[in-house]
Amino acid sequence: MDASVSVEEKPKLLSLRDLLSLIKPVRGSMIIACVLQAISAIASIVPFIAVADLAKVLLEEQAPVNADAAWRACWIAFFALIVRMAATYTAFFISHNADNDFQLYIRRRLAKHLVKVPLGWFTGRSAGDVKKAMADDVMNMHNLIAHAALELLTAIIVPVVTVVYLFSISWIMALAALIPVVIGVYMYTRQLKKGLELMDTYTESMGKINGAAIEFVQGISVVKTFGQTGRAYSRFFEAGENFLSVMWNMMKGALRVSSIAELFLTPITALVSISAATIFAVQMGWVSSFVIIPFTLLGLGITAPLLAMIFGGRSLQEAAVAAAKVKALLATPVLEEAAAAKEVNNFELELQHVSFSYDNKTKVLDDINIVLKPGTTTALVGRSGSGKSTIAKLIPRFWDVSEGKILIGGVDIKDLPSTVLYQYVSFVFQEVQILRASVRENIALARPDAGQDEIIKAAKAAKIHDRIMELPRGYDSIVSEDALFSGGEAQRLSIARALLADTPILVMDEATAFADPESEALIQDALSNLATGRTLLVIAHRLSTIQYADNIIVLDKGRIAEQGTHRQLLDDNGKYSRLWERHERSTEWFPETRVAGKHKSNSSFSNQSV
Amino acid sequence: MFRKILRILDTGAHKLRSLIFVHFLCGVLQGIAFAVLVPLLRSILGGNLQNAWRWMLTELAILVVYSALSYWAKLAGLRISTDLCSLLWRRLGDHISILPLGWFSGGQVGQVAKLTSDGVLNVMGVSTNLLKPLMDAFVTPSVVVITIALFDWKLALAVAATVPFITAAYFIAERITHRFDDQWYAASVNMSGRIVEFAQAQPVLRAFNRTDNSVQLLDSALLQSRNATKKSLSMGSLGQILFLIVIQAAFTIVLFVGTYRALGSSIDAPELIALLILVTRFAQPLTDAGGLGVAARVARNLLGRMEKLMATPGLPETTSPGKVLNASIEFKNVSFGYDAGRTVLQDVSFKVQPNTVTALVGASGSGKTTITRLIGRFWDVNAGTVSVGGCDVRELSGRDLMAQVSFVFQDVYLFTGTIEENIRMAKPNATKEEFEYAIRAARVDEIIERLPEGLATQVGEGGGSLSGGERQRVSIARAILKDAPVILLDEATAALDAENEALVQEALSALSANRTLVIVAHRLQTIMAADQILVLGNGKILENGRHQDLLAKGGRYADFWREKERAKGWRVKANNIG
Repeated sequence: MDASVSVEEKPKLLSLRDLLSLIKPVRGSMIIACVLQAISAIASIVPFIAVADLAKVLLEEQAPVNADAAWRACWIAFFALIVRMAATYTAFFISHNADNDFQLYIRRRLAKHLVKVPLGWFTGRSAGDVKKAMADDVMNMHNLIAHAALELLTAIIVPVVTVVYLFSISWIMALAALIPVVIGVYMYTRQLKKGLELMDTYTESMGKINGAAIEFVQGISVVKTFGQTGRAYSRFFEAGENFLSVMWNMMKGALRVSSIAELFLTPITALVSISAATIFAVQMGWVSSFVIIPFTLLGLGITAPLLAMIFGGRSLQEAAVAAAKVKALLATPVLEEAAAAKEVNNFELELQHVSFSYDNKTKVLDDINIVLKPGTTTALVGRSGSGKSTIAKLIPRFWDVSEGKILIGGVDIKDLPSTVLYQYVSFVFQEVQILRASVRENIALARPDAGQDEIIKAAKAAKIHDRIMELPRGYDSIVSEDALFSGGEAQRLSIARALLADTPILVMDEATAFADPESEALIQDALSNLATGRTLLVIAHRLSTIQYADNIIVLDKGRIAEQGTHRQLLDDNGKYSRLWERHERSTEWFPETRVAGKHKSNSSFSNQSV
Repeated sequence: MFRKILRILDTGAHKLRSLIFVHFLCGVLQGIAFAVLVPLLRSILGGNLQNAWRWMLTELAILVVYSALSYWAKLAGLRISTDLCSLLWRRLGDHISILPLGWFSGGQVGQVAKLTSDGVLNVMGVSTNLLKPLMDAFVTPSVVVITIALFDWKLALAVAATVPFITAAYFIAERITHRFDDQWYAASVNMSGRIVEFAQAQPVLRAFNRTDNSVQLLDSALLQSRNATKKSLSMGSLGQILFLIVIQAAFTIVLFVGTYRALGSSIDAPELIALLILVTRFAQPLTDAGGLGVAARVARNLLGRMEKLMATPGLPETTSPGKVLNASIEFKNVSFGYDAGRTVLQDVSFKVQPNTVTALVGASGSGKTTITRLIGRFWDVNAGTVSVGGCDVRELSGRDLMAQVSFVFQDVYLFTGTIEENIRMAKPNATKEEFEYAIRAARVDEIIERLPEGLATQVGEGGGSLSGGERQRVSIARAILKDAPVILLDEATAALDAENEALVQEALSALSANRTLVIVAHRLQTIMAADQILVLGNGKILENGRHQDLLAKGGRYADFWREKERAKGWRVKANNIG
């Protein structure tokens, strides 16, 4: 029943102490809210007692009735109600505001933390996961902060005060009133515990329906074109049915017990047990018939707060899980930041014995040694999975190397604060990242103080200026509101940004150029302008584009297989020359339809058409 | 809300209706049980224990019936809500299956998937869970008022007098909360968007935003959300407190007026006390009802979206389907727009002969992809006709049309399952030879040789555990096995490495043989070799012909070609503009 108990039960959940430290900034307001809630809980009982007193006065045998006493009881009830209302409302308001402030505080803390974790952390998970943690999980903690403590207090204070009061009137009657409550609560909590154990199975099969539904809707165009709608549909359906049967099995047993438990706790049961006990006790001469009044008034109210607590159990559980997730996210290791920058003499980039592994088991890169002289172009070549993208991402520190060093002008990049590192290195990758802000802000991201002429100059060199001028508000247009860019245009915008950032070293993915076949030539012009005069590292896909590079590095399974110029590598007649052959062949390929005899002549339309 | 559910459930509605009825009965019984308290108290306080026992036994009888009904309602409620879930799934699923294919290319896929999965669970869960508290809050008090009237109509009138105020306060509170919830919702949507951006653009934010305020955009969204919540809290709780005040005021009025009358002996003390007990008992469920609004609102919004989905018209199916004569395609004066007012294709006419290659070229947004989609009847045209094999696609049954065309697009969707399952789905009854031919021809053999589990390798969600080129080859194998005479192909094989590109091309060669090909073309070689090139611009066909003829004409195609040639010659070289 106790919130902290259920929090502590599962090892993966937070301990009460961790929880208290997590919510530190709002602890003060929460204490005030709790005090007010306690006042409200007590005040909520007073009107019942006052009405009981009123009844006593009115039922006095001897006339005249004590009118003063009657009115006093009325006023007490009235004021207690006002106090209760004010206290409840204020407690609610304070706790909800505390929760709201807490959400802001914890989200800011998460944001501050996340800007320090390795960039690679973000590529390892979808942005949706981050959103889930930062928006949804934090919101799910709502119950923990805004409700749990207050509900717990009410659930303890109201029954305890009520029971004490009832015992003071008649202990036999109090016992009679308590019996069904005790039985009901006992059954309920036992059942609840079992239910919580089954939660994992439940969540798991719930996840399966989500997956099946996504597959059904996303894949429908595929299944339809293959005339298999029924099959994909039945898969979604099976997942649904499966979930329902899991739920049914899980709930069926629990539901029987909990329904019976609920019946013990319903007001009618209390009504019957109290009235039967009263009539019996009156007959036996143990009590006066008047006791029926305080007992019907108060006895029926013991169970409501208890039930509210029990019903709140599940959302509390969710809240506790969410809190644990938030805490875990805050514990993500951060990238070590150098305190002070070391002097960089030149912009020679060197990879020394670099090895890297994502999981500490399989090496993605193994003992890589590369030197990039200032102003030269180096191309990385290899099939997907050879490690070329990994090398490119180690230089702007998406991840840190597992072994070896990456040096700029003789200084390890780990010894450069990130603000300094990014003054030397920028990158243009395939996945474009433009912000929902003005076009100007997007280009001037690196140098917010850049003048209009500088921004226009960069946009012109990136071949995007003309497109921007077509927008309703030109450079002030907001991206994805009144500035809607195609893939290629977004690419060019990000190239303008890199141009304005003007770093001596540039890492770029050549695939960027043909991500948008329509404006390929324009992106290429923009990239050419960007590359000019910098130390360049290119991840190559089309071999023809990099044949004039100063150095071509052929990667194979994380190792350097060959390196040299295009000529040298062709002369060596190794891996590169085989890749080149394939490349040549693929540029000459075109689709043919009239090649009967060459392939198995699969009856073209004869079998379907008639 | 329940009316909406009943409407959506259609044939399954009677199950929910019976559940509602039983809950209603429980509410009624509970009301009677409370009302019986009046004679019960009167007899106990009046010392008439004989009568008291009789009323007590009445209470007990009510309790037994109530228990039986509510136990049944609980168990049946679960059964019915699972039945209803499955019914709702089927209804939504049936409807989704007949929607035009084009409908699924929008951004709504994720939303619809979510709506059909947890949306359904949420709606059914909330609605069955809501029944009891709703009855407790509204039916039980009404019954008490009516039953009291049987004993003493004056008392009943006194209680009934408070009802309109309470109802009014409830709806005012609802209205206020609702209004500020909308603002709150908008702010939280904005915040979610900024968080996603924050995570997605993290590399750029860090690399380019050197001033250390990279969280600024996010931070203002966080702040905005906090402030909107604050406003919604203050105003929303004002609504709640109004509701509370009215309920308490009703109690207070009954208390003071009742006491005044009791002191003046115009009302029986036991009656007043019974009345006070009842009034205090009502206050609780009514107060709780204030909080039910939130859950009900969520369910109502979901229901609204389901209704909208169900209202989206499906593609009409012909009742007397025509026959396909050959593998030709024809567009006759076709006009089309995705939404009214914006035409994507305007008066487009062309013919594709069987066994030829037609290349579609033009800037993005010129309508190339739309043409391929109209051939597959992803949408219906606004004017003109699209024919496949000499027959209007609207006159063909969906199954026959789909048997005519295969799509090989850039985004390949594979289903969770093995490589083999994904290929076999094209033709579940394919022979061993047919299957093996497809695998070889599409160069899937090269993939399965490398994988330890071969054909039984799981492709992962959406095919995620295969590379782009591998996915494409699996999808080509699927198309080869399907063996449709018309192939619609999008050539953008972006970011495939040289090896993969060569293999995909081999696969495409096998697929194209002896078929009719319509290609959204990007490669020079492909365009040059085409039997027919359609140059599109602003939704119209600007030029139509073979490569040499169009080049000689010196028009739009010639310009396009020059740009392409320039792009092909691009070379990366520092200090040396390519």
